[in-house]
Amino acid sequence: MKKKVLSMFLSVAMAATILVGCGNSNTPASNTPASSSGSEASSDAGSADGSFHFEIVSKGFQHQYWQAVLKGAEQKASELGDTMNFVGPNSESDIAPQVQMLDAAIAANPDAIGLAALDTSACLDAITAAQNAGIPIVGFDSGVPNAPEGAIVANAATDNYAAGALAALETWQLIKDKVAPGTRIGVLSQDATAESIVNRGLGFVDRMADLIVSADLTVNVEGNDRFVNDTIAEKTEGADVIIEVLVPSSVTSELSTIDCQTLLNKADTICIYGSNQHSAEAMVTADENIGKFGSAVVGVGFDSGAVIKAAVADGTFAGAITQAPVAMGEKLVELLHAAASGEAVSDVDTGCQWYTAENMNDAEISQNLYD
Amino acid sequence: MAGKVKNAGSRTTNPLVEKIGGQRLVVLLVIITLFSFFSIKSEAFRQYSTILSILDYSYYITFMAIGVTFALITGGNDLSIGTGMVCYGLIGGFLITKMGMPVGVGLVVTLLCGILMGVLNGTLVAIMEIPPFIATLCTMMIARGLGSIVTGSMSITWPPLATEQGWFRSIFKITIGDTKYPLGFLWVIILIIIMTIVLNKTRPGRYIIAIGSNKEATRLSGVNVVKWHMLAYIICGLFTGFAGIAYAATFQAVAPGTGAGLELDAICGAIIGGTSMKGGAGSIVGTLLGVFVMSMLKTGLPYIGLQANWQQIITGIVLIVAVLIDVIRTKKSGK
Repeated sequence: MKKKVLSMFLSVAMAATILVGCGNSNTPASNTPASSSGSEASSDAGSADGSFHFEIVSKGFQHQYWQAVLKGAEQKASELGDTMNFVGPNSESDIAPQVQMLDAAIAANPDAIGLAALDTSACLDAITAAQNAGIPIVGFDSGVPNAPEGAIVANAATDNYAAGALAALETWQLIKDKVAPGTRIGVLSQDATAESIVNRGLGFVDRMADLIVSADLTVNVEGNDRFVNDTIAEKTEGADVIIEVLVPSSVTSELSTIDCQTLLNKADTICIYGSNQHSAEAMVTADENIGKFGSAVVGVGFDSGAVIKAAVADGTFAGAITQAPVAMGEKLVELLHAAASGEAVSDVDTGCQWYTAENMNDAEISQNLYD
Repeated sequence: MAGKVKNAGSRTTNPLVEKIGGQRLVVLLVIITLFSFFSIKSEAFRQYSTILSILDYSYYITFMAIGVTFALITGGNDLSIGTGMVCYGLIGGFLITKMGMPVGVGLVVTLLCGILMGVLNGTLVAIMEIPPFIATLCTMMIARGLGSIVTGSMSITWPPLATEQGWFRSIFKITIGDTKYPLGFLWVIILIIIMTIVLNKTRPGRYIIAIGSNKEATRLSGVNVVKWHMLAYIICGLFTGFAGIAYAATFQAVAPGTGAGLELDAICGAIIGGTSMKGGAGSIVGTLLGVFVMSMLKTGLPYIGLQANWQQIITGIVLIVAVLIDVIRTKKSGK
């Protein structure tokens, strides 16, 4: 009997520990990067009417990219004398925890909300609640695609399709002499569902196909069905140049690396483009054993991080596209401030840049590169 | 008592096949067949770099699989190895890159984290008698959250090879002249030999098998089942620590929130290699071979132009066949 009671007590204690543990997994992660910059500024300004409080729900801090967004937002908030609470879930697949964060943000009754939705449909109820409460929502990063009409007052986002097209254009300058009948261009995409990722891939594929056709060659897109179906390039049997898009069945470093190796080992591959940090990092790992980037194959990445920056600096990658996360954070807070003041706001393209070993140390670019 | 416990992993009817190792022989043939098939079908596959890569990406799964084999043999399971491996890699990497500690410290801490998680799992399963599936499901979540908390949900990049701190990457792959050699495979072989001896020839290993066969009978014969049951999970934790190091050395960047699902690769490897889900039987060599079947499929199928989702279906079918062979074999041997 005694033993039973003891074991029951222990079980309860364990369960409690686990619950606390599970609970913690969200809270500190969401609170740690939270900031309330500008508190001094607002106290300086006294009770000036121009000072607002914003709740910003990001996609998490898994990629250093988000730290740069946070930095830009902090800078602008302190400049404008506003306060903010910047949160995000543990990973970009934590859809439900993000919805909870959005609910909490609405409950805090801020002057405006910034949102980078992981899944718009999951956020719909909360978005309606915010609308009813009269809190304007500004989308950022991938924004809130397919949100109900009027729910999102403006977006501060990279035009991902344009960013992919810029990658294609810059890549074309490097490979146009090598593009000939019987060559292959590889594209690595982390997945075929997230709009931002798909658009970066499609922007590249469409523009590259266009450039190839303008050089009097035929082109065909192969590989993942989503890209094959959604590209504007016409299907051509026995085309001169093949653009092959590979998407792993699940997002693991191993599978993306294997995809890249498959492309690298094909004798006709002249170039590979990885459309986000995950894919570009997998390219670096894949090339370690093969060593074709920088010589036989042109490697082009997207975003930064220590691995990709090193690859660009040492010539493994010919270059990469960086978004402007700092500018995105700044524009976001600008839009939030304007929306809270009741001004009319509209979408802002926060832009992107092509960086290479030569220009990556320029101040204009290096502020957007992170480790 | 210890000497009489038979590891049913080597139970077959044909004495010659038994000597070579039954299911293990079949699995080895499967690996050779797959390798030959992909080599014939794809010129791009037939390269030294492909073998090097298959080995590179097999280390972390192999380590997890060796560990989880012990948990499986007790009739349990350990689902925490996937997120655990990532968690330990994050903590170790955090100490190196953010706290400025030497790589050696990071590596030791990575292993210690694994051992600690093993102790926790062992406590839950062996002492508190929580079903292993549930207990390790919980610790799987805990590991996932913990990795995110420690790193503030940011991904960690372990030092690159070119830097002074990058020496640890040579543990698994060493460059002599212009050629890279899969040094990690040597460590895998050594650990496989050690753990095979531990499992089959030592008292703790025998007790772990006995617990999986019949825990009550083992307890009644005077064995401290709690202690040895716990040890199985600690071994599993230690090897997950090794896996964390191998993962960081291979992929360099470790992202929080990932790792869920990787435990299944390891568990599948162990099962294909002949470890019984019911416990009481298993082989470390078999586990290594099982992992290679998975690695071979993952690496080879893209080369023959198969879309990613088909790879998953084929891997699923292979697993069914492997388990089926085990079921039929067990029935045939009269039990």
